[in-house]
Amino acid sequence: MASIVLTNVDKIYAGGVKAVNGLNLEIRDGEFMVLVGPSGCGKSTALRMIAGLEDISGGEISIGEKVVNHLPPKDRDIAMVFQNYALYPHMTVEENLAFGLKLRKMPKPEIQKRVGEAAKMLGLETYLKRKPAALSGGQRQRVAMGRAIVREPQAFLMDEPLSNLDAKLRVSMRASLNTLHERLGVTTVYVTHDQVEAMTLGDRVCVLRDGILQQVDTPQNLFDKPVNLFVAGFMGSPAMNFVTAELVRGDGGAAVTFADIKLSIPDSTFTDKPGLDQYVGKKIILGIRPSDFEDAGSAGNHANGWATLPVKVEVTEELGSEINVLFLIDAPPVEHKDTVAAADSGEDEEASLPLVGDKSLWTARVNARSHARSGQNLDLVVDTHNLHFFDSASGLAIGHEANR
Amino acid sequence: MERKRRLGPMGVLTHAALGIWTLLVTVPIVWTFLASVKSEDEIFGDAWSLPATLQWDNFARAWEQARIGQYMLNSLVVVSFSTFGTMLVGSMAAYVLARYPFRGNRAIYMLFVSGLAFPFFLALTPLFFVVQNMGNVPVIGQFIGLNTYAGAVLVYIAYSMPFTVFFLAAFFRTLPTAVAEAAMVDGASHTRVFFQIMLPMAKPGIISITIFNILGQWNQYQIPLILLQDREKWVLTQGIADISTAAGYDADWAALFAALTLAILPMLVVYTVFQRQIQSGLTAGALK
Repeated sequence: MASIVLTNVDKIYAGGVKAVNGLNLEIRDGEFMVLVGPSGCGKSTALRMIAGLEDISGGEISIGEKVVNHLPPKDRDIAMVFQNYALYPHMTVEENLAFGLKLRKMPKPEIQKRVGEAAKMLGLETYLKRKPAALSGGQRQRVAMGRAIVREPQAFLMDEPLSNLDAKLRVSMRASLNTLHERLGVTTVYVTHDQVEAMTLGDRVCVLRDGILQQVDTPQNLFDKPVNLFVAGFMGSPAMNFVTAELVRGDGGAAVTFADIKLSIPDSTFTDKPGLDQYVGKKIILGIRPSDFEDAGSAGNHANGWATLPVKVEVTEELGSEINVLFLIDAPPVEHKDTVAAADSGEDEEASLPLVGDKSLWTARVNARSHARSGQNLDLVVDTHNLHFFDSASGLAIGHEANR
Repeated sequence: MERKRRLGPMGVLTHAALGIWTLLVTVPIVWTFLASVKSEDEIFGDAWSLPATLQWDNFARAWEQARIGQYMLNSLVVVSFSTFGTMLVGSMAAYVLARYPFRGNRAIYMLFVSGLAFPFFLALTPLFFVVQNMGNVPVIGQFIGLNTYAGAVLVYIAYSMPFTVFFLAAFFRTLPTAVAEAAMVDGASHTRVFFQIMLPMAKPGIISITIFNILGQWNQYQIPLILLQDREKWVLTQGIADISTAAGYDADWAALFAALTLAILPMLVVYTVFQRQIQSGLTAGALK
């Protein structure tokens, strides 16, 4: 096992496209690091550079203290799992698993032992004599994992390994991956465009956009303290709601106003976000997570001191345990380049209604005890402790420690 | 079930065309086979009549007097080496051209492909002198000059390269890159990736192009005609041609047909045995 360190890594393709731009990233020994971002953000390129399948245009990559810039993949002691599994079609499962070990001139009994152990761990024992063509998608996926595991490498590199599986299998494989990492403790770099996978799997998550690192942190910190509009909009499903608002300070303390709504801001916010008071009287972009809303009727006591927001429900999405309430805010949608980029990439986002016109469509995730139905008027309460404020020009989160 | 029986106007046309094609191919072959067991008078009589008695000694005369047996062996030796060589060198070249981007890749590929359009007989005279000069190379010259199998094999290989590279490069491009990358990460060298992973994956294409080359090289006449002038080194096609020309206008027609039959049969067997693979190889790229 080893740590992987990327220092100022660049990748410039022929034609001048900069796929990865000055990437600095330290993946600690035994860590599960997820690289996430919209398609074309450079996450796969970064992974392939670590693997040695792409040349590095600039900077330095080291695995376990050893600079590997010019080492071919076979000398980097890493194992990789590919999106379409990339099994050797003319070999049986057993031969697929043993191939890498045979090439390393490992003695036969040792190969058999490792292949046996991996097959047992992944439940592949009965399929060892089959060819990949005779396996289901999930089984092929497990063979691909097994091929990585038997190698006992310094690090696992995984390039969207679950994206070809159906939804249900993906969830169960996600859980198996977590257990596997817990048990083996091998440094893992995992690429995905699915932010749910990123949140559930990663010890830390690295958000990339256009080849530039946006933020690296634990999933919870990414969710609670996004560094800019892009990360805020990309992480979390449904996506964060944005509006251009004005920060005001009056007799009753500070507040944000937009449309006809005024949400008061608790004093603690200003101590948490130093620099926010400089924006008083100015336009900012306000962000509210759908999960920070609650139906006033079913919120109960814990909503004490929360601000109230009367809305008219456009559409509801009932998910069983929760209800997504979609409603319109009488303010133009925020058209910052970051929010547009984040929204484009979301694959499971609801397509915006073509009828909303010059208004913003917001989503609130409320408890299923709420009886919100389409067309009704509803009072929502907002947890004003969790409001997010962004500079309307730069898109950076105001008061975030990385932006101070 | 109903639909299967009924043919549209296009279907009728297609079937008519295929029917005519089948006749065009089978009638001459059947006629040749039939003539090989007729007497000379019968051959010049009604083409559709059956022989009164089967003249098996036509084959005996072809085999012994016209030495078809010897020439067939020569053909076998030349074609085995040249097909093997063509496939080895051709598949390696095609793989590199299909998979590795490097400066000049496109130019080399185009050079191969332009070989397809080159009228071969234009090269016959210079080719003769090239091979003659190859004979003057110190030490190995005696093995690769005129009237040597190795010399002919080398020319056969060069002659077959354009189509082989053209076809296999297209085939290699359809194979998934990730499998080669997986092998690379697993610890395989470029050479090993090619021989142990990519070549087995390209099997359908390799088989069909191998058969294609065997057929083409077995039937080769112009190249041996100028390169192998020593009677001992002749290949089958030269031997057959000799039957009809050696005796002026008094050729042994019956033996000629027997010799032709002997030349056709092995190819027919090869084609029948590998028919399925040839078909799947030729359509593999299209079935995407």
